[in-house]
Amino acid sequence: MINAFLVFNGQGQPRLTKFYTQLDTSIQQRLISEIFTLVSNRPPGSCNFLPLPPLLAASGTSHSASEPHNDVPSLVTYRHYATLHFIIISTSTESPLALIDIIQVYVEALDRLFENVCELDLIFNFETLHATLGEMIVGGVVIETSTDRIVAGVRAQGAVAKRPVNEGRSTGLGAGFQGMGGNFVWHGR
Amino acid sequence: MFVNTAPELRFEKSLYDLIRGLRNHKGNEKEYIQNCLKECRAEVRSQDMDVKATALLKLVYLEMVGHDMSWASFHVLEVMSSPKYHQKRVGYLTAVQTFRPDTEVLMLATNLIKKDLSATAPTIIALPISALPHIITPSLALSVLADLLPRLSHSHPVIRKKTIVTLYRMALVYPETLRAAWPKIKDRLMDKSEEPSVTAAIVNVVCELGWRRPHDFLPLAPRLFELLVDGGNNWMAIKLIKLFATLTPLEPRLVRKLLPPLTDLIKTTPAMSLLYECVNGIIQGGILGEAGEFSEREEIASLCVSKLRGMISINSDPNLKYVALLAFNKIVVTHPFLVAQQEDVILECIDSEDITIRIKALDLVQGMVSSDNLVSIVSRLMRQLKTSSSSLEQQNGDQDANAGTDSSDETGAVRRRKAKSKDQPPPLPDDYAVDVIGRILHMCSHDNYSSLLDFEWYLDVLTQLVRIAPAPRTKDMDADASSSVPRHLVSDISEKIGNEIRNIAVKVKAMRPAAIQATELIITRLFRLSSESASARLVAAGALKPVSYLAGEYPFELSSADDMLGQLLHLLPKVDSPEILATSMQAAIKLFAYVAGDDRARWTAERKASLSLLMARIIHVLEPLALHPYLEVQERAVEFNELLKLTAEAASGQAPSTDDLHQDPPLLLTQAIPSLFAGWELNSVALGAQKNVPIPAGLDLDEPIHPNLAMLLSQADSLMLPAQEEDEFEAYYNEKPPATSLSSATEPAILRLADAPEEVSSSYQQPGEESYLDADILARRKAERMERNRDDPFYIGGSRSDGTSTPIHNILQKENGPDLDIDAIPIMKLDLGAVPGTRPEKPVSRPKPRQKLVVAADESLGGSGPSTPGQYDSENNSDNNKSRAARKFKQSLLQVDSSTLGRLDLDAASDRLEGAYDPEKQRQEEDEMAKAMKEVQRLRLEMQRANERIQVAHGVPVEGIVVKKKKKAKKTQVEGAEEGEGVAKAKKKKTKKAAVDEGGGATAGEGVAPVKTKKKVKRIAPLDEAGEANS
Repeated sequence: MINAFLVFNGQGQPRLTKFYTQLDTSIQQRLISEIFTLVSNRPPGSCNFLPLPPLLAASGTSHSASEPHNDVPSLVTYRHYATLHFIIISTSTESPLALIDIIQVYVEALDRLFENVCELDLIFNFETLHATLGEMIVGGVVIETSTDRIVAGVRAQGAVAKRPVNEGRSTGLGAGFQGMGGNFVWHGR
Repeated sequence: MFVNTAPELRFEKSLYDLIRGLRNHKGNEKEYIQNCLKECRAEVRSQDMDVKATALLKLVYLEMVGHDMSWASFHVLEVMSSPKYHQKRVGYLTAVQTFRPDTEVLMLATNLIKKDLSATAPTIIALPISALPHIITPSLALSVLADLLPRLSHSHPVIRKKTIVTLYRMALVYPETLRAAWPKIKDRLMDKSEEPSVTAAIVNVVCELGWRRPHDFLPLAPRLFELLVDGGNNWMAIKLIKLFATLTPLEPRLVRKLLPPLTDLIKTTPAMSLLYECVNGIIQGGILGEAGEFSEREEIASLCVSKLRGMISINSDPNLKYVALLAFNKIVVTHPFLVAQQEDVILECIDSEDITIRIKALDLVQGMVSSDNLVSIVSRLMRQLKTSSSSLEQQNGDQDANAGTDSSDETGAVRRRKAKSKDQPPPLPDDYAVDVIGRILHMCSHDNYSSLLDFEWYLDVLTQLVRIAPAPRTKDMDADASSSVPRHLVSDISEKIGNEIRNIAVKVKAMRPAAIQATELIITRLFRLSSESASARLVAAGALKPVSYLAGEYPFELSSADDMLGQLLHLLPKVDSPEILATSMQAAIKLFAYVAGDDRARWTAERKASLSLLMARIIHVLEPLALHPYLEVQERAVEFNELLKLTAEAASGQAPSTDDLHQDPPLLLTQAIPSLFAGWELNSVALGAQKNVPIPAGLDLDEPIHPNLAMLLSQADSLMLPAQEEDEFEAYYNEKPPATSLSSATEPAILRLADAPEEVSSSYQQPGEESYLDADILARRKAERMERNRDDPFYIGGSRSDGTSTPIHNILQKENGPDLDIDAIPIMKLDLGAVPGTRPEKPVSRPKPRQKLVVAADESLGGSGPSTPGQYDSENNSDNNKSRAARKFKQSLLQVDSSTLGRLDLDAASDRLEGAYDPEKQRQEEDEMAKAMKEVQRLRLEMQRANERIQVAHGVPVEGIVVKKKKKAKKTQVEGAEEGEGVAKAKKKKTKKAAVDEGGGATAGEGVAPVKTKKKVKRIAPLDEAGEANS
């Protein structure tokens, strides 16, 4: 199952945090900053999986354990879009490649909801972020993977606010979301 | 609609304002946030539900950034109970984000959740359903289950999906849920007219449940198979394959069914994720199985492995590399030979830039190491470590030159690394380096060194490792890194390397001289480093501990015991860790005993003088240590100090022998001190051997040593403590010169110092040992090789022919000392089985049967034959281990424990399922629960009132206590009847003085705005109305 879904920007500021277990705020922050350190140090062209951050590695199984326990969060998947990092922490029962697709679905859904989404949209509409995630994942289990149905589900809860007009779009933020669909070959859908 | 951005005439900030404010206050966000928090604290108590909800929204936003809001949990509850959807949603969102296991108000939410579950609007029903997984507790699950179950057949598919998942999460904390819910979920799954997305969600849940209780899902196999074949949904297919992988071990007949569709998928699917999961499923499901049973199996095995190989070797996509390594990691457990065939591509991954891939490859390599590939694998790893440590040194050099900034600042270091030129591979993080070193040690030493053929090579590797091992972090660091595990590892690794050298010296007698040589190299290097650099630097290498032990234990192997003693004495005052200090002090005294204790040598004036000097020097070193705060160090220092003083006296009293008068050296020197250390040779002892020592018959461990031990101890404490404390204090300041303590905060003593100059890279050939071993180690190695081959008639020597003594030979002989004994160099030992208790060595047909070394097994007692720690553990400690492991798992962060699921006996109950779930019983339980809730509420109110009374008693002006009765339609009557004025809530005016936080946020006990004299009315809304309990 999925243990946490996180979004933060290039400076490590959280934009969305969703932990599917109850965790102290301070520990949440530590985990986020540990993962951020890992993410920001990735050389270009590396894979979308992170080694376990120290907090999780310490409490989980050791590296050498060949048979990881299925309950223990053992996989940290991330994806990078424009200024944002999307992170999924999950157990070994999830399929790694499918998780990468899940992030893609989430971003596509947001893109549909906000029409050419950018970080600002996420900053000012974080309730919508939660609502969208809530249509995809409940309690750490994926319930929907079709963008259409996710978008419809969010819209059914009410209209989605547009980004404030006077806030202006910083250039290029949205560009990363465009055309990201095609560059991974293993679409699960 | 989510955020109320419409400009309204009100003074409170909206979330939008808050975020804008945050963005406009770059630099002093902290202050701004504090102000906002203060405002929110006031607003959240407002009567106006809109204001309340907005305040909560702001708070939950700030919580995301790290500002705790557990104090507002009661207000969260209030907003959850709002009739307006958009407010209610804010309430639920806040609850999901901020409720913690210890949030008390959760008990009050039960009825609210029950009510919302039975609402008509699907959007409202969805709120509690999605929130429940985050806040569920067994008691909440118990009371909510009856309301949640009917939602499984809700007309809206979204509600059905979410309900299924929520039921699963409930089952995790309250397994009985499954008993009631499973039949219904199964019906849903079987229902072919069910919405496909709901079916997919069910499959997801079943997959999660599946690995815990695979037996329950075997009957479903036909339906699942059907879904796999004509589901057409790749996401679901992935999960189904994962599920089947857990089922096939239980039902081998499934394999025959599954193989055709899986091979079909592998050959046809365009989705790489599905392809991978098919391969993975085949592996995990044990379908690879015993070859030959089905002819297809061999075919499919080669198909899978070739696909995986393709994934690794195609260097386009790192993700595929990673997952392929994951899959190989699973195969290696059952089919090591299949993985070993792929050694070439896997080894490539060890050098990948990507640490994630590297680690996975390392995991794999560890599983497939053998005596054939050990050297090549370790060489690869060593090369990595060497290059990274040398580039790190360079950097440290830069840093020192620049400003000498604090290099322990990790992020800073990282940035600097990034800024560095790209032509060099980036230095590895310390954690990784430690991990790699640990693996090297493990690979070489596992199974009592069975894969290791060339011990001399290993010793050289170890010597090199000591140099490049990351230094332990300094004390400053572990103060803020409270999870000390990584730090612990770092500080340990150097010692572990040293331990390996010690193990070899002790266990492999033939290698002892070589090991001692390595020891000398290490200590000499430490000595050089510490004397070269400013005297302030501390010696932090943990390797010193085992290595100095060796020097003390086998002084006769040393090339010069005198030099070694001098170096140790020089190092002693600079040793940081008390454990290392205690061991190396002991070693120094042993060395002294060896140097001084020769009773055949004449007691000349010269000898007398040099020994007195030596003793004076030792006493000088030991004296300050007698005040060391660490008891072990203190005790040894005091003991040796006194002993040496006595000896020194005796020595000075003994006149030297002259030509005509023969004098014996003092007996204290030649007899007493050496006898302290002479005895049986120490051998390695198995880890658990101590436990096998039989307890003597007369010994009763439960009998108290002294009838009134506690009293004695407390007396001793009270007597000793003051003096002791003073000593400690004094010792602390005496021991560390001020300059020392400053520089101890810097770092890697070893890493800072430039190594021997970078060797000329041998570019014209494959990088050999010279690429990872330092020049001096190499030189030694070369010399050894020559020495070894001297008597080999087939070896064509370089510049030297047998027998004749060339200049090089002379130099060698000179350097190694006059007492070089060729016979001591191991050539062959053919005493197979002659030594009892040794394990059989490798077959002779090895490609490199150069040495046949006897590795002594660990000694043990009682057991049959030599017992290795592993065996011992499995025999005696398995229960212990298991429970320890279980505890470890429980502690894991973020983990959702599903172990309770496995315990529930679903099958046995399946025939009486309906009976087991008894609505009548449920109702009764609910009534009891409602009663208990009321009691809890009453007690809470009482406590609050008592609290307030205390405040009043403390002298808070009592003016203006307002008692407000809160009426809430019919519910109040019920409440009122039972609790008297329970609903009424006394509320007093606040003054600044009364700013006592009453905790839980339930009462507004804080001076929010001191100037405000407005009377605030506190409302304790009875959220879980008793009247609704049975609706």
